[in-house]
Amino acid sequence: MDNILEIKNLCKKYDNFELKNISFKLPKGMIMGLIGENGAGKTTTIKAILNIITSYSGDIKIFGLSNKNETIKEDIGIVLDDMFFPEIITPKDINNSMKNIYKNWDSKIFNDYLKKFSLPNKQIKTFSKGMRKKLEIATSLSHHPKLLILDEPTSGLDPIARDEVTNILQKFIENENCSILLSSHNTTDLEHIADYITFINNGEVILSKTTNELLDKYGIVKCTEKEFKDINTKDYIKYKKTKYGYEILVENKKDFKEKYNIKIIDKVTLDELMILMIKGVK
Amino acid sequence: MEIIISNSSDVPIYEQIKEQIKVKIISNELKENELLPSIRTLAKDLRCSVITTKNAYEELVKEGYVKNVPSKGFYVAKINVDLALEEQLNKIENFLDKAVHIAIINNVSKKILKNMIDILYEEEK
Amino acid sequence: MIGFIKKDLAMIKSNFKLLGFLVIIYIVMILLGYMDISFILPFMSVMIIISTFSYDNYNKWDAYSISLPNGRKNNVKSKYITTILMLLLVSIIIVILSFIISYINTQTINYEQTLISTLGTIFGTLLVLTFMYPIIYKFGVEKARILIFIIVFGLAIIIGLISKYIDLSNILKSLSFLENYLVIILIITSIIMVYISYKISEKIFMNKEF
Repeated sequence: MDNILEIKNLCKKYDNFELKNISFKLPKGMIMGLIGENGAGKTTTIKAILNIITSYSGDIKIFGLSNKNETIKEDIGIVLDDMFFPEIITPKDINNSMKNIYKNWDSKIFNDYLKKFSLPNKQIKTFSKGMRKKLEIATSLSHHPKLLILDEPTSGLDPIARDEVTNILQKFIENENCSILLSSHNTTDLEHIADYITFINNGEVILSKTTNELLDKYGIVKCTEKEFKDINTKDYIKYKKTKYGYEILVENKKDFKEKYNIKIIDKVTLDELMILMIKGVK
Repeated sequence: MEIIISNSSDVPIYEQIKEQIKVKIISNELKENELLPSIRTLAKDLRCSVITTKNAYEELVKEGYVKNVPSKGFYVAKINVDLALEEQLNKIENFLDKAVHIAIINNVSKKILKNMIDILYEEEK
Repeated sequence: MIGFIKKDLAMIKSNFKLLGFLVIIYIVMILLGYMDISFILPFMSVMIIISTFSYDNYNKWDAYSISLPNGRKNNVKSKYITTILMLLLVSIIIVILSFIISYINTQTINYEQTLISTLGTIFGTLLVLTFMYPIIYKFGVEKARILIFIIVFGLAIIIGLISKYIDLSNILKSLSFLENYLVIILIITSIIMVYISYKISEKIFMNKEF
């Protein structure tokens, strides 16, 4: 079992939205970032993985087993956007409940995280958004999971807390049997720590590659209209006309450099990549 | 061990890591049979992805600077200093080749070029 | 499952102060001769339990709980067990309070009567809850509230109309022979009701999507 998570041809139809043939693989010991616009289908995909939605077609395997298998949930840690324990209970209540929910729940780890994040033992409803997120993260990490599925784990966190969290995640995969799937709009965090990036747009995977390939090979060419007209359409993915020139997304900036005499070819950031892929034209 | 990474550089991060470890091995700052940090620890400490450090180590293994002892880790290999030096000389030659090329195009004399190298050499020292 | 029950109990616990406060008020009111205690406590317990559903809905616990081991099954099971535990607790409180009150009022207490009336109220409460749960699981608390209101209102009108045209007293008289078996009938009916309700709720929740 080299892949901790494997999704094949996941389809799910709603009245006004559709997941179309979502497929990707998350190898052991790796972090995969899910990126895409709000409403692109990231959360729906995660819900399908966790069986929160059931009526989909396609095949989802976790640890080599079907995701319908309840035992695999013992080894999954989750942070779901906006879904958690009811807010009138306290972290201590969560600890007490989780002790009997997960076989491997470790109160010590949980309490250590509470201390690390300085979370008081008060009703969750008194917590700020950032504190809630931290509590959710602490909860997801305290039963020795092998796979973390995190939907927007760093939204609402300040840069320092985000740094703390990315550090925790990297520590988590120091154990090479563990993997992380996380969706995030904080793409700079992903650029640093994600091994793979899967880009979902409009219910479809339009890209699933190693982060290095994206950041080291892809490039943004910036040029004038005259230069743009000389470029073969085969040689770029998409372009965007700006007020003062053209921005062109190319798959391999080195090849492009050899072929054309255009000076400015920048590295891409994930944000730029997303914008050009979604807003750009061909 | 110090490794400094630039995120804005055009050089891929794995290559930056590779080159810096290489230099440390050639200069004997990292000694033969010394255990290098694990792929995952290095990734965590440098705040980069596991694949990045993995790539760097794999290339170092391929080029003979590092050896991979399965289930133990990566160790500094016994390197042929002459060979390593030759590689670096090759690199220097490549750069000089470009410099000479530009010099000839622009009618810059050999003397000026040599002079330039002298000055640069002194400055670096 | 125990973990899920603990979570529900923790939610109820946050309402315990309120419950305790009410118990005291009722004792005072009864001592002043205002009302019968057996009706209001079960009513309060229903409110408290339904409020746990509201918080579950509000914080999307149902969706979250599915991603926990055996989440779908345990979510439903724990609600029913918590409800039974809560009603048992309330029954005990009612019985104890009746004894205390009768002691203070120096009335001679009819034990049998107290138990039967307690059982009756608990049975009534259970009837309402078992009826409500599948609706809550299907439609969520907010919609369920409205639906239940409409249904109860409708039933009241229908019963009212029936009793206007048909003389129910004869039917009740003909059923009076059951009185001796009342306790057993109530217990058996409760068990059957809870079981059927549970199975329906489980079936609804097993296929529910969020």
